[in-house]
Amino acid sequence: MSASAPSPQTVQKKAVRADILVIDDTPENLHLLSTLLNERNYKVRSVTKGVTGIRGAIAAPPDLILLDINMPEMNGYEVCEQLKANESTCDIPVIFISALGDVLDKVRAFNVGGVDFITKPFQIEEVLARIRTHLTLRRLQLEQQAQNLRLQQEISDRRRAEETFEKSFLASPSPIAITTLRDYRFLAVNPSFMRLTGYAKAAILDRTTADLKLWPEPALYQSAISQLAQGTRCESQELECRTQKGEYRTVLISLERITLHGESCVLNIINDITERKRIENEFISVVSHELRTPMHSMVGALDLLSTGELGELSEQGAQILSVATTNAERLIRLVNDILDLERLKSGETRLNRTHCNIEDLFAQTVDAMRAMADEADVTLHVQAVSVPVFVDCDRILQTLTNLLSNAIKFSLPGGTILLTAALEPDDILHIRVIDQGRGIPPDRLESIFERFQQVDASDARKKGGTGLGLAICRKILKQHNGSIWAESAVGEGSTFHVRLPVE
Amino acid sequence: MSKTVLIVDDEEDALAIATLGLQMKTDWVLLQAGSGQQALDVSAEKVPDLILLDMMMPDMDGKATLAALKANPKTQSIAVILMTAKQEPLTQTGVDPEQVVTVFTKPFRPLSLADEIRTVLGW
Repeated sequence: MSASAPSPQTVQKKAVRADILVIDDTPENLHLLSTLLNERNYKVRSVTKGVTGIRGAIAAPPDLILLDINMPEMNGYEVCEQLKANESTCDIPVIFISALGDVLDKVRAFNVGGVDFITKPFQIEEVLARIRTHLTLRRLQLEQQAQNLRLQQEISDRRRAEETFEKSFLASPSPIAITTLRDYRFLAVNPSFMRLTGYAKAAILDRTTADLKLWPEPALYQSAISQLAQGTRCESQELECRTQKGEYRTVLISLERITLHGESCVLNIINDITERKRIENEFISVVSHELRTPMHSMVGALDLLSTGELGELSEQGAQILSVATTNAERLIRLVNDILDLERLKSGETRLNRTHCNIEDLFAQTVDAMRAMADEADVTLHVQAVSVPVFVDCDRILQTLTNLLSNAIKFSLPGGTILLTAALEPDDILHIRVIDQGRGIPPDRLESIFERFQQVDASDARKKGGTGLGLAICRKILKQHNGSIWAESAVGEGSTFHVRLPVE
Repeated sequence: MSKTVLIVDDEEDALAIATLGLQMKTDWVLLQAGSGQQALDVSAEKVPDLILLDMMMPDMDGKATLAALKANPKTQSIAVILMTAKQEPLTQTGVDPEQVVTVFTKPFRPLSLADEIRTVLGW
């Protein structure tokens, strides 16, 4: 017989509908019920004694029991009582089938735990209908129980998750606040946040950050939020935070967008770095003093020696002294640049914006660099435009001087350097410093703006630079919301571009 | 009449360098003090035309010395120039800018010190 062609018998044989135990001391009754039920695809076990029935039910609990009342040794009521007393059989529905038809008999049958009562002689359709009903009830009951169990599990899982979240939120050493995205209204804050800001919970919840004047520079917070809108998360944005007492704390703020009860919200996680900043600034200040004091004496001593008033030096002696002076000066520049960069980095140096004209700044730059250019036999050309700007003029002058000084250093004698400015749309001033020097390899165009990343490592020594100039320029431009970059063709020269918002 | 200048610095080397630099370039009478207290004593006794005062000194720093000088009627009109190795704006040090002529940031060059003093004081 081929497996792919099932026999007609297999097709007719349907799945077993239920397992039914029939307990009756009359073999004819048993036989009749068994036959009828078997025909309808029920699996039937039949026993003639109550004790055997109970044992069978415990060993393999059936889905339903049909139980006769009048039996010798142990009658149906007793059998039912025992079934109900046993944990593994107590839930099995028991239907009594008996010739006893008195109301009192029926009441007793229900009292001992029966679910139904069928009077003999029975109609098979009635028996089947009642069996179906009670099997359905039993199935629904089991489903209900399983569902209850699942729900209970789910509730306890949720409760546990909630507890984990709640405890982490409450105990987090980092201040955390949840605000609406629409108007930055506080929905939840943790104790660390209250400690940081000094506000009691009632004074924060349902207020906006603007109500509390929490961010003295709301635009900075706004720009952090706008990073969220672009889909990126905002990490460790430095901000000033104003406490309830009006004190200012420096904080790093990380933001994440979350949805709570259908509303877009912001998860604010804060890190108070006030103390760290103070220590850092103090360190910079102390280092600055401790390095400068001996340098001051050293350079001074060399200067005094070089006058010759303390005794004439031989030619070689004077040469050696000049080496010492040059290097001491370089050391001073290096220390100054490192400290300058540190300051710019730590944000300690706020921009000191004043009104000036880019034409004047160009003139001052060229004045300052003229001697150096003459010495290198390099010609400076300026195409200035008169554009009033509101910038930190000293810092922009520092940037221009730096770029021009680089251009001179890397120009060949007889070369020309062009300094131009043009006003572009959106009030952006585009400054270019164009040289005809040796150029910058493409893979170094970006790295030269990092610290100590000259094109050639020996450049710093040969050219007397510190390797920090362009890093400083980039920081200065960043503070101005501008940018600086370089373009170059090796052997033909480089162009440094500066984009500076005029205010 | 020759000017009298008091140089105050707890760093012996810095004191010597500044003194020598001024000696080479001027005929001024140069006085020295190695501490704030010494500066007050010398100023009260000699009443110099100018005090070059170092900011960072142990015990009594430049700021405290300046306050004491300005509190004493005998010394309050003496011109004071602060010297500092720190690059920080005067406003951050808590010194009243009205009470000082200017601030020289170290390292300065001893040979140009005299000219810079002449420029700011109009000597």
